[in-house]
Amino acid sequence: MILAAIPSFTELLGMFDMLKWFPENVSTFGHELDNLFAFIYYISLGIFFLTYGVLIAFMIKYRRKDNVKAYYYHGNNLVEFTWTLLPTILFAGIGLYSDGMWEKTKYEKKVPVPDVEVQVMGYQYGWTCRYPGPDGTFGRQDRNQMTTSNRFGIDSADAAGKDDIVKDGSFTFPINRNIVVGLSASDVLHSFFLPNFRVKQDAVPGQWIKVWFNGTKVGKYELACAELCGSGHYNMRGEVTMLSQADFDKWLSDESAKKLGVSFAVSPVKSDSSATKKNDSTATVVAVATTDTSKTTNKKSK
Amino acid sequence: MSSPVLVSDTHHDVHTDHGHHEHHKQSFITKYIFSTDHKMVAKQFMLSALFFLLIGGALALLLRWQLAYPGEAVPLIGQFLPELIASDGVIQPGLFIQLTTMHASVMIFFVIIPLAVGLFGNLCIPLMIGTDDMALPFINLLSFWLYFLAGIVAAAGFFVQGGAGASGWTGYPPLSAIGGLGQTLWIVAVFLVGFSSILGGMNYVTTVLNKRAPGMKMFDMPLSVWAIFITSVLMVLGTPVLASAVSMLFFDNVLHTSFFMPDNLTVASPYANGMKHSGGGQPILFQHLFWFYSHPAVYIMILPLMGVVSDVLSTFSRKPIYGYKAMIFAIMAIAFLGFIVWGHHMFQSGMNPLLGTTFMLSTIVIAVPSAIKVFNWLGTIWRGSIRYTTANMMALGFIATFIIGGLSGVFMASAPVDIYIHDTYFIVAHIHYVLFGGSLFGIYAGIYYWFPKLFGKMLNEIWGRRHFFWTFIFFNLTFFPMHILGVGGHMRRIHDPNVYDFLKPFQPWNEFITIMAIILGFSQLILFGNIIYTWIWGPKAPKNPWNANTLEWHAPSPPPHGNFLAPVRVYRSPYEFSHPDRADDFHPQWLAPGEVEIEETTTVSETQNTH
Repeated sequence: MILAAIPSFTELLGMFDMLKWFPENVSTFGHELDNLFAFIYYISLGIFFLTYGVLIAFMIKYRRKDNVKAYYYHGNNLVEFTWTLLPTILFAGIGLYSDGMWEKTKYEKKVPVPDVEVQVMGYQYGWTCRYPGPDGTFGRQDRNQMTTSNRFGIDSADAAGKDDIVKDGSFTFPINRNIVVGLSASDVLHSFFLPNFRVKQDAVPGQWIKVWFNGTKVGKYELACAELCGSGHYNMRGEVTMLSQADFDKWLSDESAKKLGVSFAVSPVKSDSSATKKNDSTATVVAVATTDTSKTTNKKSK
Repeated sequence: MSSPVLVSDTHHDVHTDHGHHEHHKQSFITKYIFSTDHKMVAKQFMLSALFFLLIGGALALLLRWQLAYPGEAVPLIGQFLPELIASDGVIQPGLFIQLTTMHASVMIFFVIIPLAVGLFGNLCIPLMIGTDDMALPFINLLSFWLYFLAGIVAAAGFFVQGGAGASGWTGYPPLSAIGGLGQTLWIVAVFLVGFSSILGGMNYVTTVLNKRAPGMKMFDMPLSVWAIFITSVLMVLGTPVLASAVSMLFFDNVLHTSFFMPDNLTVASPYANGMKHSGGGQPILFQHLFWFYSHPAVYIMILPLMGVVSDVLSTFSRKPIYGYKAMIFAIMAIAFLGFIVWGHHMFQSGMNPLLGTTFMLSTIVIAVPSAIKVFNWLGTIWRGSIRYTTANMMALGFIATFIIGGLSGVFMASAPVDIYIHDTYFIVAHIHYVLFGGSLFGIYAGIYYWFPKLFGKMLNEIWGRRHFFWTFIFFNLTFFPMHILGVGGHMRRIHDPNVYDFLKPFQPWNEFITIMAIILGFSQLILFGNIIYTWIWGPKAPKNPWNANTLEWHAPSPPPHGNFLAPVRVYRSPYEFSHPDRADDFHPQWLAPGEVEIEETTTVSETQNTH
């Protein structure tokens, strides 16, 4: 067991190839972040070999020798100036170059128009996700109604919330669509970490933060908590399933049918596969389920 | 804490020769326990912090065991762990986060800061500026005992119900505000140790400004003193902010105020007491206050060692430090910029991303003075005549690891790159390259360099070099692979990475790191063995074993109470090595022009250092 843990020489050399350790990237901006990492990595590697080369060469060349006295020299201002200026330009360049990426991924005003908008709530120890349901509108939230069984505090008095779909631990999104997540936490800090999408954002109780991504590949991916949140922190695993738009539409209508079927005893409505606009099929459901509040619903959905 | 017979013997000799110091009336208690002598306080800091180093290291090995062999009983000591936290010797999740929290807290608050500032501040400042003691000796005593008390309070957490603090060394609320008694003790301990820092820092600043020997201008001070001086300014300005943050946290935790607690939390913690908090607070506020101190604290932990390394490197290269003033300005720049970069710890915290841009740019700028320091160190050894003593090898080890630690810092300074590597092992690798590879190597360099002065005995150089090689090699084998885990997305502070499919391929790395860490941990015992052996049987140290220039080498080894046998005067800058007009390759600061050192300096460096 112990011997198996010692890597071979080639594996040791392979340690310098950092980029191969990234998990597969499946988001639109992920490769840009990876490239930025690679850019800094190669610059660092260059500086590393340069400084280590100089350090080791000096250590060997200027080791103590009999009859050779060290050079009495206090330094040179021009040299100091040069090696102040060069790193300043280099580092400032990295900073300015990085900023565009930062703005694109994190600035709230740069969050793209959502194709799918959900809310995600972290709690000790798990994730729960809320879809607006067939009406495309989240029901009103009331912080006083937040409990362990109603983590979003969905206001029972608001009809727009009746069809909201709440999924625990496993979320589903369509690929090639802008997914915008409103993120919060119900107890302590958590961090919403999707390694394959290069997404990470702390979830802060009492605050909603917008996170967005756009997945490019169908499949199941892991969601992790990256901020220490208690003894169950390590086990706060979630799953994100990326489907094609058609499969997602079907999944969504099945879910809303399930939800409405239970709470309203309305017979399941089949997904309208001919619809190209994604909320068409669910619009009928709204009409059936929330006729009495359709006015308020319409107002809310602009 | 008790000092050996040797020291009092030397005191006695000195006393008979130059009996003008009133120290012989001291009882054991006033001399060894409640001493106000800066050298005794330095020894107290050194020995207590080295003791905490063993504890912190043991905690690290326990948590490494769990990461390498999840679900397997800890060998040897597992059976002695209480059933509640380790069933059948297997570390439970609750214990695991206590281990990560306490490992980091112990290492930062009780090992690195006390060694970097407490040990070297007390040891270097009065001796290197040529004075008899600190400006405020009683404050000095208080500073140590507050630290010691804080250590006991923090360690006591392991013996209370629910265990020690378990919110990470950063103690972010709301988690830290709903913890049990152990968490409260952690908060109290941080407050006390912070108070110790404030007292120490205040004392160092006062001493440096007021008690320099005649002739010593600010720009005649050795870089160690400069670095500790600027660090002290950081401590005096930064630590009160930490104190305010943990005070509010204490109120949230004990009195259920809501400085950091938002409305209507639905918390499952058994200690939350049905959440009596009224709400309306802001968790991120704590992070701002915490990092406003704790980012400068990162520099508090490394700046003094940059000074120490500069002195060691110059002495053993027999060359003036390259760019003395540039080094000082770089330290000042780091200190100033250190106060405006704290937000880079919070890129993903939910702070306005606009601030992320600002903090990213200031953070990237702070890499520049660090780079300047590395270049100046390289300039110092350039055309030198390098002696490979243990102290110098540790100093060169510092530079080697600091280069890697500094470069890995550029990754997380870039906010978009930080999105992915934040809270992963990449950060863990970085902090260990800076704090273990940097600070601890610097501390070791200082210990090997000044041990003869402080204790009057020469540490064994052969075992010293062995200590260096084992530490350097296994340090890199332990911490470099953590970069790989980080790039793989491995989160920090997780009890069992195998919960995640994407982390399963990294299990062999975790196992490898643990084995290397165990060897690294045990190789530190060489230092402890060396210190104990030398203390009892080691050869007596001459006054100036390394042929160095700074004032501490003018005092006897070990210096008596009051340090110098006669008042000192300073005639030149501290780095006059290898002047072409002199036969000797050094020219001490205390020698008047034309004066020759009468007292013979046995050149142990000659006999011991050439292999």
